[in-house]
Amino acid sequence: MEPLTAMFAIILGGVLVGICVHFIPASATGAMSAATGIATGPSMLSAGAGMAGILSAAYSMDSGLAVVLASGATGSALMMVLTILGGNIANAFGTGVSPASGQTASGQSILGKSTKDAITGWDQKPYISPGTDGHGMPVQTHISGLIGAFIGGIGGALVLFAVYTLLAPILKPEAAFTIAGVIGAGVFLINSVLPAYTLVGKTEGMFDQKIRRTPKTLISCLIVSTVIAVLIYSAAVVI
Amino acid sequence: MLPLLGTVLAGLLAFLAGIFEDSESNAGSASNPNSQVQLAPQIGHRHRYFNKAISGEPPANALWATTAATVAVLLVAKFETFNPVYSVIFSSVIGALVSTLLLGLYGIFSHISRVASMKTFKQTLYWDALYSALPLDLSFGFLTAFSLTLLSFTAGMMLNNPFSVPLIAFMLGITIGTIGSSTGDIHYGAERLYQHHIFGSGIPISNQGDIDVKGEYGYRNSVDTPYFTLRFGATITAFTFGLLIFLDSLSRVFVFAGAWSSVIVELGMILIIFIVTVYLEKYTRDRYGPYTR
Repeated sequence: MEPLTAMFAIILGGVLVGICVHFIPASATGAMSAATGIATGPSMLSAGAGMAGILSAAYSMDSGLAVVLASGATGSALMMVLTILGGNIANAFGTGVSPASGQTASGQSILGKSTKDAITGWDQKPYISPGTDGHGMPVQTHISGLIGAFIGGIGGALVLFAVYTLLAPILKPEAAFTIAGVIGAGVFLINSVLPAYTLVGKTEGMFDQKIRRTPKTLISCLIVSTVIAVLIYSAAVVI
Repeated sequence: MLPLLGTVLAGLLAFLAGIFEDSESNAGSASNPNSQVQLAPQIGHRHRYFNKAISGEPPANALWATTAATVAVLLVAKFETFNPVYSVIFSSVIGALVSTLLLGLYGIFSHISRVASMKTFKQTLYWDALYSALPLDLSFGFLTAFSLTLLSFTAGMMLNNPFSVPLIAFMLGITIGTIGSSTGDIHYGAERLYQHHIFGSGIPISNQGDIDVKGEYGYRNSVDTPYFTLRFGATITAFTFGLLIFLDSLSRVFVFAGAWSSVIVELGMILIIFIVTVYLEKYTRDRYGPYTR
């Protein structure tokens, strides 16, 4: 990868991370089984999945860009799918509720007035406890979370690989790996926190109305990632 | 043989770390359910829960794990003349002790300042709520940091992760915090805090803050919490994090398609787990049925 291409790869990776957060269903009140989504903030959940992806991608850094991206994506997706399974088990046997989407049940999702799950066609409305906004992760949000994890994993791995390519010629391999990891994690954390301002603590993924606000996130992530990428490029190549 | 042994050891350490992490967060009312403990005085419930939410669970755990791993790596370099296994274990103990000290300091001040902010709602600062729960919380914090440090050394030395050990600990800390906060905490936030509410429903927004303040004997305190959540919430966290580390490491043991083998194996695992989750949803819908009063 050319240094200039690497700089653009860092920008692209950062933007992908920002987009991924919109796809990952999460809500803090999920911890009281009072909202659909994984029971933590969308930003932190994406960060956790991203770190798992970066750790996974690091193992295959010598095998080329395609394998690194694929490893990052599958590492993140594995973390996401296991967390959704764990969360649904806790909801099913710890609190005795079945997964149901609150927005779909109230007919406010982007699916229109339908109260049925977009993938399985299971009706969501009768399974919502009154006074709550759904609970757990039904299949449609699960698919959305998986897509988000794949996008985020690719973004994180892309940043890691690009920074490593920039640093490899000027540093010892161990130092280049570690600094690339720190920058990869940093870019991921920054870009996964930015969408918190558009999501306001809760989202049901790609079937949520908030998915329409993705362009706002895209612009802010683009600006922030460009600044970071230019700084890293100047530090590694120009100076 | 070494990668397989490393995989099994990493899975075991991750499982233990999951149990301790969830218990630590529940003993200290950290993460999302802390909002309920914070709300309780506002609706007239004086409580004796130990409430230290220093930050979100992921950054907090990243801090404990990174502190412990950094100290441990420095000490391992000092003890290089000893047997490497003993020096790693010994250094990890000292590293975890340092991070426990940090947790203790943050925990005490965080609890005191959180209770002080509830002065308007007549919440008293009960010293027994702090002194009885703090040692338990610190013990779980120590064990979490210790297992995560050992896990980072296993990933770095036996599984050949190219990152340095403190960076691995940082990433594992963020991941375990996320998993603990999104799986085990449901058992604390939706069930343990609300045991007097009907089982089999979420907690409506109007009931939030109406937590259980009385225990089997006197007032409920945070020492009772891990005793309850260890049986289910902590196990789920351990199951999720342990399985993540185990399956992720196991996928790299296969070599049938060169560098792509781990990706193919992981995709297969994702598909299987997805199908299990869909069946779980179907099972709960059939078993529990629609919501009825």
